Amino acid sequence: MRVLVVEDHRALSAAIGTGLRREGMAVDVVLDGDKALEHLGVTRYDVVVLDRDLPRVHGDEVCRQIVASGSGSRVLMLTAASTVQERVDGLGLGADDYLPKPFDFAELVARIRALGRRAAPALPPTLERGDLVLDPSRRVALRSGQRLDLSPKEFAVLECLLASAGRVVSAEELLERAWDEAADPFTTAVKSTVRRLRAKLGEPPVIDTVREGGYRIGEP
Amino acid sequence: MTRPESRPRLRARLALLYASLFLCSGIAVLVLADLPLVSFSSAARATGDGPKNGAGGHSLSTTNLPEVLLYSGIALAVLAVLSVAAGWLVADRATRPLRVITAAARAISASNLDERLSLGDSYEEFRELGDTLDDLFARLEAAFDSQRHFVANASHELRSPLAAQRTVIQVALADPAASADSLRSACNQLLEIGEEQERLIDALLTLAVSQRGLRKREPVDLAGVAGRIMQSRSTAAADRGVRVDASLAPAITAGDANLVDCLVTNLVDNAIRHNLSGGRVQVATGAAAGVACLSISNTGPVVPPGDVDRLFQPFQQLDDERTSHDAGHGLGLAIAASIAIAHGAAIAAQARPEGGLDVTVRFRLADPGSVSPEP
Repeated sequence: MRVLVVEDHRALSAAIGTGLRREGMAVDVVLDGDKALEHLGVTRYDVVVLDRDLPRVHGDEVCRQIVASGSGSRVLMLTAASTVQERVDGLGLGADDYLPKPFDFAELVARIRALGRRAAPALPPTLERGDLVLDPSRRVALRSGQRLDLSPKEFAVLECLLASAGRVVSAEELLERAWDEAADPFTTAVKSTVRRLRAKLGEPPVIDTVREGGYRIGEP
Repeated sequence: MTRPESRPRLRARLALLYASLFLCSGIAVLVLADLPLVSFSSAARATGDGPKNGAGGHSLSTTNLPEVLLYSGIALAVLAVLSVAAGWLVADRATRPLRVITAAARAISASNLDERLSLGDSYEEFRELGDTLDDLFARLEAAFDSQRHFVANASHELRSPLAAQRTVIQVALADPAASADSLRSACNQLLEIGEEQERLIDALLTLAVSQRGLRKREPVDLAGVAGRIMQSRSTAAADRGVRVDASLAPAITAGDANLVDCLVTNLVDNAIRHNLSGGRVQVATGAAAGVACLSISNTGPVVPPGDVDRLFQPFQQLDDERTSHDAGHGLGLAIAASIAIAHGAAIAAQARPEGGLDVTVRFRLADPGSVSPEP
């Protein structure tokens, strides 16, 4: 899942970034509204964690532009303003969820996952295909009841393929969904991650390679 | 709320006044109307006295006077009742706008300061009173609004570091591969965030103290204060590659030494912080024409002239500086302004066209008779 964190408090945004990456999400962190809009113009994010009181471009304006762009990115507003009216205003702008500061990190993660599932079409909390079961919130992957020991990137790639339910996913798309902006676009990281993932998934093979296209989860 | 009952009430007073006025004019009219009647009957007695019998004329005069008096008495009684009633009614009408104002003013509290008396078509005097009170409510509302705004801003500024603290702790604790190093770095981060909160709370307290006004006035030499603070900030300035120049001439004012210290500290820190590498800060003090003057100029990013006044408001910063690492909370100039106001000093800032700010504070020069040298 690709997440953009927009928060002007340095320590807070860095901690959120670290925590979310450990949860297997591909996270970009920016400190102001201007940079947020720049990133949103280039990358399609599943969830945007947006502080409301941002310098340069206010969080409300960023939220309005995300909704207007029709990109389908879900917006979680994060703010110190905690009166009911302010929460209602935030949701009225088109935010999908609202979390007042200070918050529990576990709740933030759970809410981001819930928003990620709402990407059209809605996804179930656990992804299944044949004997393969993936539970993103508990970070558990099972094959035939056997637990698989996957790295965060391998997990993210498998999650992305399962969420596409048999549709072909290009290497570029995988790179965008499972890696953050630090990834080199000409890297062979996707190829090698898929290779390792296949080895861990074992027989019979689950991931098909589509020539000139990318990868997909095969029929069960 | 209890009201002392012994005080005379305006309505009763007015009613009494009107009633007695009505009554007096009533009596005057009665007497004027009766006089010819009474004099007529005595004239009849006098004319009948001479040629005919004196007894008939005498009996005529004695039967007329009591009747006149009786009817006059009845008329007077009716008049008295009518006067009191009319007086009461008129007094009631005259004081009605006052009661409206009282009731409305009583109903207005901190939670509904936006309500107004709006005595539209009333007498000029009452309308003036109503408008004056409405103006007062408007000023109170503005003051309450700015207070609420300030509290909201302060709580917002306090919540962000709190949220950061909690997140840093929870992320560090949730790390399955946590090592001594990663936990140590989390602790260091927590310390930094804690220091940030301390600075904010200190700044808020200073602001509150300066807004309370001065408790004491003692002679303070601006040159001494500025010299000391520049010395203590020399390392910080050097770290940022900022050169600090001074031209300090004695400038003695009367004020709270701690607050003056705080004012100069905030201005100097501001000038160093919002500067460029290789930039300059110039601090000057001096006395002239009854004014003890402190001026601090710094190079730095260009400040749009329209934004200068905004910088004196609490929690206001230029957008470009909000995300820089140690930008502060936007309280420095607000604190300086508040301390200046408490001292009756004039503070003014001007954006330099090439970037940076010129800030000048003009204190009153201390009365030479009352000045004793600073210890």
